Amino acid sequence: MAWLSERRKRTRFEAVILPHLDAAYALARWLSRNDADAADVAQEACLRAFRYFDTYRGGDAKSWLLRIVRRTCYSWLERNRPAEIVSLESWPEIRQELEASGDTETKLQNRSDLRRLDSLIEALPAPLREVIVMRELLELDYRTIAEVANLPIGTVMSRLHRARSALRQAWDDKDIDQ
Amino acid sequence: MKCDEARPLLDAYLDDELPAAGRAALHDHIEGCVECGPEAGALERLRNDIRRSAPVYRAPGFLRSQIRSTLRREARGASAMARAPSWLAYAASILLAVAVGSGGTWLMTGERQESSIGDELIDNHLRSLLADHLTDVASSDKHTVKPWFAGRTDVAPPGVDLAAQGFPLVGGRLDLIQGKPVPALVYRAGKHVINLFVLPAQPNALGETASRRGYTLRHWSKGDLGYWAVSDASPDEFSKFERAFRAAAGG
Repeated sequence: MAWLSERRKRTRFEAVILPHLDAAYALARWLSRNDADAADVAQEACLRAFRYFDTYRGGDAKSWLLRIVRRTCYSWLERNRPAEIVSLESWPEIRQELEASGDTETKLQNRSDLRRLDSLIEALPAPLREVIVMRELLELDYRTIAEVANLPIGTVMSRLHRARSALRQAWDDKDIDQ
Repeated sequence: MKCDEARPLLDAYLDDELPAAGRAALHDHIEGCVECGPEAGALERLRNDIRRSAPVYRAPGFLRSQIRSTLRREARGASAMARAPSWLAYAASILLAVAVGSGGTWLMTGERQESSIGDELIDNHLRSLLADHLTDVASSDKHTVKPWFAGRTDVAPPGVDLAAQGFPLVGGRLDLIQGKPVPALVYRAGKHVINLFVLPAQPNALGETASRRGYTLRHWSKGDLGYWAVSDASPDEFSKFERAFRAAAGG
């Protein structure tokens, strides 16, 4: 009976996928940079995941869900805030801005103010922000990040490196002597 | 190992992604190198700072329960659409109608078909309030709510936000009316909730306003869409809402 199998599907989905809701929300939150939007995205992603659940063939449920969250989030941003979709081609200018916002004087001033580091992460373009968030905050390994972001591992590594260099430049670069 | 070999590997070293042999070689180099050592140290410090400073985002409780009820609804809707016993949904709505109706007046006998739509709409309105299931897609953004319905229903409801007129959009919901999935737009009017159901327009549909069981039902149509608004908001509020909606939706 369809009703029964739908019910079974839901029970299984809740047991296998929903335990990763926190990670899903965190990724959506870092990508959308806003609580309400993150909730919308996470909800929409879970619903999509539920619809595609028949295509889930075991394996790492977390990366399976995050992949959907990420896609949902980008299409959500395209629909609602297209201006925020920044490709890495305009990266040089962004990097300059980022560095300007972190000149040495403010660096020293803000060294104790760790909240500034969050805003620097938020200022990264999404392709760099997502890898640093997945690596440092969701603590995913390269292979999983590559899977979630649908990128070759080499690209994950180079983006991670660029993200870190940018953060260090803007934040603590000249500050090694402390 | 030389510095220019070591440098590109520092990230992977920090991330513990190097094979054992490479890791050991790099470790030895870092220990002895006055350039690469501090560089690795700085990378590690950045990591610690990020982990120490970044907020830990967790899914809020309301989101969790909202998702669960969305899934329940989705599972129910999918099975109903799979031509599985939609009588289950019907049975549930009748049970609920009886439960609600037994406390009030029961006026169903011999009325025209449109009135039974009216009852069904009111039942759905009540259920949305009682079952803590106001929305399937909770968003005040019409650009989120409208596309959410795409492919789920026969009719495409217009996306209209009336926050400026005092009726903020709360979200959208999929309901079963006469066995078919029907979009409901959910608005707030002060403390009251307005459910606006969008059905294909029907000839001879119920007159403009009806009131039963303490709820008001307003109906209007525009083009091939029929709008049915249900709420317990005051009649004044209600006609204000209808005017605002028609103005914003272009009719």
